[in-house]
Amino acid sequence: MESPKRRDGNERPLLSVVDDDESIRESLPDLLREFGFASRVFSSAEEFLTSDCLVETSCLILDIAMPGMSGPELHQELKRRGHEIPVVFITGQRDESLRVRLGKQGAAGFLLKPFSDAALLAAIKTAMEPS
Amino acid sequence: MNTQVEDPAQEVKRLQRCISDLVGLLALPAVWSGNEPSRIVQILLDALLRMLNLDFIWARLRDPVDAGLLEILRVSDSCRLRITTQDISEALNTRLVGDGQESLPIRHRFGGEDISIFPVLLGVHGESGMIVVGCGRLDFPGQTDSLLLTVAANQASIGLQEARLLAEQKRITYELDRRVAERTAELAAANEELRKEIAERKLTEERLRHGEQELKRSEVHKAAILDSSPDCVVAIDHEGRITEFNPAAEQTFGHRRSEVLGKPLADVIIPPSLLEKHRTGFARYLASGDSRVLGRRLEMTALCIDGREIPVELTITRIPQEGPPAFTGHLRDITERKKSEDALRAAHAQVLRSEERWRSVFENSAVGVALTDLDGRFIATNLVYQRMLGYTEDELQQLTFLDITHEESVEDSRTLIGELLDGHRQQFQIEKQYRRKDGQPVWVRNNVSVVPGTERVPRFLMAISEDVTQGKLSEEALARARSELAKVARITSLGVLTASIAHEINQPLSGIITNASTCLRMLSADPPNIDGALETVRRTIRDGNRASDVITRLRTLYSKKELSPEWMDLNEAAREVTALSLSELQRSNVLLRYQFAEDLPPLVADRIQLQQVILNLVRNAVDAMSAIGDRPRELLIRTDCDAENQVQLSVKDTGMGLSPQAAEKIFEAFYTTKTDGMGIGLSISRSIIEAHQGRLWAIANDGPGSTFLFAIPCVPEGFADTEAPANPTVRRIDS
Repeated sequence: MESPKRRDGNERPLLSVVDDDESIRESLPDLLREFGFASRVFSSAEEFLTSDCLVETSCLILDIAMPGMSGPELHQELKRRGHEIPVVFITGQRDESLRVRLGKQGAAGFLLKPFSDAALLAAIKTAMEPS
Repeated sequence: MNTQVEDPAQEVKRLQRCISDLVGLLALPAVWSGNEPSRIVQILLDALLRMLNLDFIWARLRDPVDAGLLEILRVSDSCRLRITTQDISEALNTRLVGDGQESLPIRHRFGGEDISIFPVLLGVHGESGMIVVGCGRLDFPGQTDSLLLTVAANQASIGLQEARLLAEQKRITYELDRRVAERTAELAAANEELRKEIAERKLTEERLRHGEQELKRSEVHKAAILDSSPDCVVAIDHEGRITEFNPAAEQTFGHRRSEVLGKPLADVIIPPSLLEKHRTGFARYLASGDSRVLGRRLEMTALCIDGREIPVELTITRIPQEGPPAFTGHLRDITERKKSEDALRAAHAQVLRSEERWRSVFENSAVGVALTDLDGRFIATNLVYQRMLGYTEDELQQLTFLDITHEESVEDSRTLIGELLDGHRQQFQIEKQYRRKDGQPVWVRNNVSVVPGTERVPRFLMAISEDVTQGKLSEEALARARSELAKVARITSLGVLTASIAHEINQPLSGIITNASTCLRMLSADPPNIDGALETVRRTIRDGNRASDVITRLRTLYSKKELSPEWMDLNEAAREVTALSLSELQRSNVLLRYQFAEDLPPLVADRIQLQQVILNLVRNAVDAMSAIGDRPRELLIRTDCDAENQVQLSVKDTGMGLSPQAAEKIFEAFYTTKTDGMGIGLSISRSIIEAHQGRLWAIANDGPGSTFLFAIPCVPEGFADTEAPANPTVRRIDS
């Protein structure tokens, strides 16, 4: 596994994780650090929207089903506000039609839980490549 | 003949008998004297048949009195042959032609037997007739036979002659009597006629005497009648000229008597349309005396002076007087009567039309209509009603509505009709079942009322009936569909459940994999990050336990396998499953009490599934009491057995209780009041109880908390094949 290049200076790209499940919020930051990313975790869409990370976030790893605002709704809201953050959706529910709809909506990636570290890294890399 | 001389003694006997026969024959006239010729011949024939020992004897002669042909045949009782007059005639004809007396007697075969036939003429030349005798004896006729026959023939001739004379004498006497009577009657009639003439002449004289006076009185009388008669009286002579025109006629027709006397009737009151008829009728009567109008009451029209034609009733009579015929006509203006007749006719037509309309309404009504008497016997029914029940009108009239009411509806109908007749109600509506003629039940919505009687019609019942069988069937179908839908909904929710399970499990799994991956990377680093790796491993173990918990929780609640029913003891099963929860109950500070029915019968059920239900109810009860701090946390598990062979188990808590809205909603999948529940426990519990043909429900307690209950039949339908409870697992546990 190759660590991504630093963009400028010592700063690592910031990845934000939004998921209501504690297991994810606890485990993902360690793995992302291993990949060479900085990360912040949020337990809800609202928490993320009110944070100071919107501009800094290079890629958003976003759960779909959450209490309150759902992942896709957050995605739309970000676009509405003009934040072009690439989004990788993660979900425990296998729903092909949802995957297609999110693709059309401009999602950068879609992962079914549980996913492997390789799949996650590939999705993040694809999402962060300049289109 | 030579056979007769064999024995002198016999010969003597024969002669003696001959003499005695002769005496007999000579005595015959004394017997038949004064009798009819036919009777004379009969007496003679019977005597000869007996004396001569004949087979038959036949006579043909002209009746000397009325000249009719007599034919008499006597056959001996001992004769076995069937002999007819025709046979005898034929025998005579074949033998007598040409041969004359020479070949007598004639031998002829009758039915295989030879018979000697011997004809004897009556009168010198047979002018009185003929007797023919037949005898099977070979020596017939012997001397004595001939002698006796000859004497008999003579006697007969004389007898017949006498009879003829006697008859002639009688005829003449009768004729004489008749003529005398006739003449006497004529004289009597003439006498009577004479008396009448005298009387009439007297009467005429009398009349003549009073004639003038009578006439005068009659004239006055007649004038009074004429003048005061409400009828018009018009008289005409034989030329049709008016000779009388009374005041009523003046009044009615507007002519004055003085102006019309002597004028032809045709010019005065006969309307133009009837002129021709009047002339021809009048002419015909004068020519032939033939009248179609005399003495009859006629209706026609008559002409008034102002040209109006009015309807009149007319009677024409001929005036009984000498000389040329003259007539009077009585006329009555019937304009008013015509009017009222027309009005009556119109009114009647109106009634008929109205009746027709009502009948048409009755017949063509889209709903069934039946009229019955107060006993419920059908008086009239319309076509829709008849079709609805499959009976004809005639058949229904033999029945009462109770006869065709379905057993289940009879009592209700009887009660309601009773209230109707008592005046407690004016009408009622009932949905009831009838039985059609073909036996099929039919649902009918009836609107029944009492129709008050009139002076001609006694009060009766009217039922307006609508066939609602289709509707009823649809209702049943709807209920079935609803229950189907509920099942489908449950199955669908199982689908949702599966997805939910996947989601629940995937969360911790996702954590496990991520942690493990991170751990691997940390250990592979140089230098290895041991502390980080230990932390990831701890998280991995915790996530693994979470996943395991989810699965355990789901497995206890959700079991997709078929029911495996067995004979079981519900008390024992309940005790067993709650024993597993005892530590949890103690931790939660819950006091558990049992109240088990001692006489609870064993039941056939899936033991494991019922235990899942009980466990679920106990867990729910414990959860409901978790927030309670101000009162004891009590859990009561109770079993009962009811009369319908159902067993019941209830779980009563002192928890936060149940709102009425929630009481049904809690059984829906994914409905939950708990923060950490999935809301499928009660839904699945209900499915299990329904699979046992029972029901699961909840009620709010009188005091705090709620009670959950289920009731199931001891042996659900289709479970009866389960092996009898010889099974040692079924034990009685004393509570």
